[in-house]
Formats: sequence, C-alpha cells, structure tokens
Amino acid sequence: MLTSPQVTSSDAARQVAMRTRRQVAACAITLGALTLIVVASLVLGVRDVSLPVVWEALTSPVAGNVDHQVIAGQRVPRALVGIAAGLALGVAGAVIQGVTRNPIADPGLLGLNSGASLAVVCAVWLLGLTAPSQFVWFAFLGAAAAAALVFSIGAGQPVRLALVGATVTALITPLITLVLLRDPQAFNLYRFWAVGSLTGRGLDTLTVVLPFIAVGTVLAAGLAHRLNMLALGDDVARGLGQRVGVTRAVAGLTIVLLAGSATALAGPVALVGLAVPHAARRLVGTDYRWVVVLSALLGPVMLLGADVIGRLVLPGTELEAGVVAAAIGAPVLVAVARGRKVAGV
Amino acid sequence: MTPLTVTPAVTAVRTRRSRRRAVVLASLAVLVVALATLALTVGAASLSPGRALLALFGVGDAGDLFVVQRLRLPRLGAALLAGAAFGLAGALFQSTLRNPLASPDILGIAGGASVGAVTVLLGLGMTGMAVSLGAFLGAATIALLIWFFAWRQGLHSIRFVLVGVGFAYLAASLLAWMLASADERDAATALVWTVGSVADVRGAELVMLGVGLAVLTLAAAVVSRWQGPLALGDDHARGLGVATDSARVTTLLVAVGLVALATATVGPLAFVALVAPAIARRLTDDGGPALSVSVATGAALVLSADIVAQHGLLGVAAPTGIVTGIVGAPYLLWLLATHERRTRA
Repeated sequence: MLTSPQVTSSDAARQVAMRTRRQVAACAITLGALTLIVVASLVLGVRDVSLPVVWEALTSPVAGNVDHQVIAGQRVPRALVGIAAGLALGVAGAVIQGVTRNPIADPGLLGLNSGASLAVVCAVWLLGLTAPSQFVWFAFLGAAAAAALVFSIGAGQPVRLALVGATVTALITPLITLVLLRDPQAFNLYRFWAVGSLTGRGLDTLTVVLPFIAVGTVLAAGLAHRLNMLALGDDVARGLGQRVGVTRAVAGLTIVLLAGSATALAGPVALVGLAVPHAARRLVGTDYRWVVVLSALLGPVMLLGADVIGRLVLPGTELEAGVVAAAIGAPVLVAVARGRKVAGV
Repeated sequence: MTPLTVTPAVTAVRTRRSRRRAVVLASLAVLVVALATLALTVGAASLSPGRALLALFGVGDAGDLFVVQRLRLPRLGAALLAGAAFGLAGALFQSTLRNPLASPDILGIAGGASVGAVTVLLGLGMTGMAVSLGAFLGAATIALLIWFFAWRQGLHSIRFVLVGVGFAYLAASLLAWMLASADERDAATALVWTVGSVADVRGAELVMLGVGLAVLTLAAAVVSRWQGPLALGDDHARGLGVATDSARVTTLLVAVGLVALATATVGPLAFVALVAPAIARRLTDDGGPALSVSVATGAALVLSADIVAQHGLLGVAAPTGIVTGIVGAPYLLWLLATHERRTRA
C-alpha cells in the first residue's frame, strides 16, 4: 500500500513525459509540413518555376525576368496571405470552440463571415470602394456586429449556438442579395471576393491587418490556460478564481480580431476554423495551450495546402482556396457529427 | 371486459382543441382569400375586386382577362401551392426530427437544389424545365447524402441536423465558386434563381406543382398517423406498434419530395419551411405537429411576401425569396432567444 502511490506517480510522470514528447513531435512535424507546402506554393502553379530559380528570385532578383516577377509579385504575397489568414482562422477556431465548449463552432458557422460580407457589400454599394485593402475596416465592423448578435442569443447553449449562427447567416444572405441585385457592379466585385481566395490581395492589405492578427494571437495565447479551466464548466472555473465574464469578453475580442482579419484578407472562408482545432485536439489532446499552438500551425497548412491543391486539380486554371478548404472541411464536420459525444447532446 | 371509457374531462379537452383548430383554419382561410383578392386587384393595372372576380371566370374585356388570367392568376397559384408545399414539408421535418429548427435551408437541401439548378443554368447552358429537373436532382442528392452519413443505428435527429449543416456549407461554397467563374450576365441570372421567385411560373410547371402537391399531401395524410406516437419518443412509439425507423424514413421521404417539388418550380424560398410550422404551432398551441395549419400558414406567408416583394417598399421588384428570408429569420431569432430564456427559467 505504501509503495503503490509512488509507482503510480512515476507512471504518471512517464505518461506526462511521453505526452509532451508527442506534443512536441506533432508541432515539429506540422512545421515541417508547412515548410514543404510553402515551398510547393512558390514552385507550383499554372507556370511551374524550378526550385533554383525560386531561390534566385528571392536572393538576387533580376529585373525583367518573368519567372522572378511571378515569384516576387504573386507567389510570395499569396503564400504570406495564406499563412496569415490560415493562422488567424485556426487560432480563432480554437478560441471559439474553447470558450463556447462547442465542437461545432467556427467563424463561418457562427455568422461572422456573413456579417463581414454584408458590411463589405454595403461599403462597395454606398461608398463605391473597389480595393480589398479598403474592405478591412468594414469586414471587422460586420464581423463584430454579427458576433455580438450571435453570442447574445446563443451563448451558453452549445448546439443552439451553431443554429443561431446559421439563422443569422440566413437573415444576412438575402440582405446581401438585395444589394447585389440593385448594384451589378457590387455583385461583380463581391462574387470574386466571396469565393474565398488568396490571389489579388497585395502586401498592402497584409500590412494593414498584420497588427490585428498579432494582437489576436497574443491574446489567444494568454487565454489558453483560462480556456482549460473553462472546459471544466463555468462553476469550476469560477471556483478556481477565474472571472468567467472577463474571459468571455477577451475571447470575443480575440475572435473578432482574428476572424475579421482573415475575412478581410481571404474573403469568407468557411470551415477552416472548424476543422483545424479538431485535428489539433486529435494530435495533442485537450490542453488548450498546445491546441492553440498547433492550430496556429495547422491553419496555414490547411489553407495554403488547399490553395496549392486548387492549382493542381484543374489543368490550365485554378480552383479557389476557399472552395477546396470547404471540400476538406465538410467531411470533418460530418465526422464530428457522427461521433458519439455530439449525438448524445 | 368493460370498454375503455373516455372521461368527460378528456372529451372536453378534445372538443376544445378541435374547435380551436377549426377557428384557426377558418381565420387563415379568410386571410388567404383577402390576400388573394389583393394580389389579383393591385398592380400596374388596378382592378376593382368585382371586375377581377368576373375576369377570373372569363367575363370582361380582353385587357382584364389578360391581366387576371395570364399574369396574376399563375403567380397567385404558384405562391399558394409553393407556400403550402414548404409549410407542410417543414412541419413534417420538424415533427419527425423533433427539432423546431430542422428546415431545408439549414439542412442544405435548399442549397443542394440551388447547386443543381445553377449547374444546369451555367454548366449546361439550359433553361426552363431542365433547371427545375436540376434543382430536383440537387435537393434529392443532398437529402440522400445526409441520410447516408447521419444513419448510425437508426436516425438520430441532432446528428441528422448537424450533418445537414455541413452539407449546407459545402453547397454554399460550391455555389459561390460557380457564380465567381461564370460570365457576368449569366451569374446575375443564377443569383436571381438562388433566391427564388413565384413570378415566372407558367402553365405546365404550375400543373406539375399542383398534381405533385396533391399526391404528396395524400401521402402526408397517410404518414401523419405516426406523428402522435413518434412524438412520445421511440420506446413508447415501438410499444404502440409503430416501426419507428421506417415510419421516420417514410415521413422524411414525403417531406423531401415536397421540398424538391416546390424548389424545382419556384426556387428555394428562404425560411418558409421553417417559419410557417412555427407560427402554426403557436396558433394551435396543442403540442401537436399542426400539419394542416402549417399548409395554410405557408400559403399565407408566401402570398404576403410576394405582395410585399412586388409592390413593397424595397425599391426594386425583388424576388419573393428575399422577403421571406428577411421576414422569417428575425422571427426565428426571436424564437431562439425566448426559448433559451424559458429553458433557463
């Protein structure tokens, strides 16, 4: 009887060490995969560029060389936009799922994307904006308004939250359509933005949203430990000395910053924020400190990976990253819904 | 053996309920007739109710006959029949899945119909009946897919809804992609179709809708006898001799048939299938599925939405589906907000 606690504690220590090793390994492997995908995104495309030429373009570009222009002018910004938007979506998804304790939560499902879309459409219609870099502030505003509406009605009811999000989307979609029918020019701009793409977004848009993504990511990292306590329930978290209301408010701000930035960058991309945290939990367990870190790596893997796949599936043309990402994300949602945990709600 | 006696109290409740249902149905009938009169008389050529009525039966000058019989009557018929079909389908979905939020919009069946129709419009370049067939096939395909993935030792309602949400997002993303890759003018046509309108339903389509609705309403009357037992829960229903899985599958088949039929004719009128049964249940207030009342509320909702869309204050002659969404979604949000308050209390 005296020895058994010692045995279990050394067992536990070994288990913790093994888990930590697995968590580190998962992050390292994901980082490796991300590096490969970044390289692939620079090399592959309608115009394939060989690796040495890519290196040349990055280190000693020659003015007038078409390959170098493609790399520096199109592929590098595209890869950077993919990394930034993917990171923002992945981390936002992890925070949303943590703070709502809801496995079916993501910026798209919660109506944030449609709120951002409505604001952008109205800006195009009423103010005559044309460049994605001008859409940023409206995307933020719309996402924040939608988030406020969805959380005020659906908070505390995990499964219902997804349905409130779907309803808000269904309320906003006809309003968007109404504007689009009135203004053909807005429709023409909107339909290319709404499909969710990494192309045509210059570095100017990226520099505008980068500070927001940075602040959001730092906030998310700070929240991770609080999310772990919140996972035990509001009462337990309160008992451990947490001010649950503050956590919720900070999480809401984080989500709006990250999801608004991602939407401003890549358009309304659905389901990346849903699928990434699920994959992360499978790999590193339920500790949000690891889930947030791995989601920050897996998000770019999924979005930029979807972008690369979109360049390869159709010969001679490209499929937008948003479409490919939804095609990958929908099966994940179906798999989650088939799981016992959700079915028992 | 004494025969099972029905106490006076039970008889009194039953009489009160059936009287209430009769009153509700009669008032809705009056409302529908009033709205129909409005639809036939108001417009660019204003007619008095008397002249419209005479023209309806073939009496009057050629102008009156043309306006009433060729322009307004088909539109009125399409609104009534499609509204009835969506209302009945929604009531069947919601009572069978025991979820007040189950509707073709949220389950992705409407999205599937849009994808099917837009594929025919833009991909194959066909119009007319082929588009309706495409919508029908799209709706049926999505319904079968949801079925296939949601079936796991029976049909669990929340799993069915969540799998449907996944397919709704997949369909939305496919739709965005098709709109973005289309020619500008084609995309605008497709956009109008995805909203849905009763304006351009003529002759053969209207007959098809009427006959299909009659057949499926009969089928709904047959399957409605299982609604009572199913509402008690699977165990009790089985105890009463109902084969629950096959009863649920048959009912949902009828509901999907109704949605596919109506969507093929008028497009996906947003939120009618969701809101009409919800209003009907409030009006009857007896805890039952309110199938017949949902038919009437559906018809009244679509007819009034079409009158607003045609002559309302939206500034453009908007498609019917825009108004149903804008009227329907806030009502649903209100339902969700008050429902949560009730469960908390």
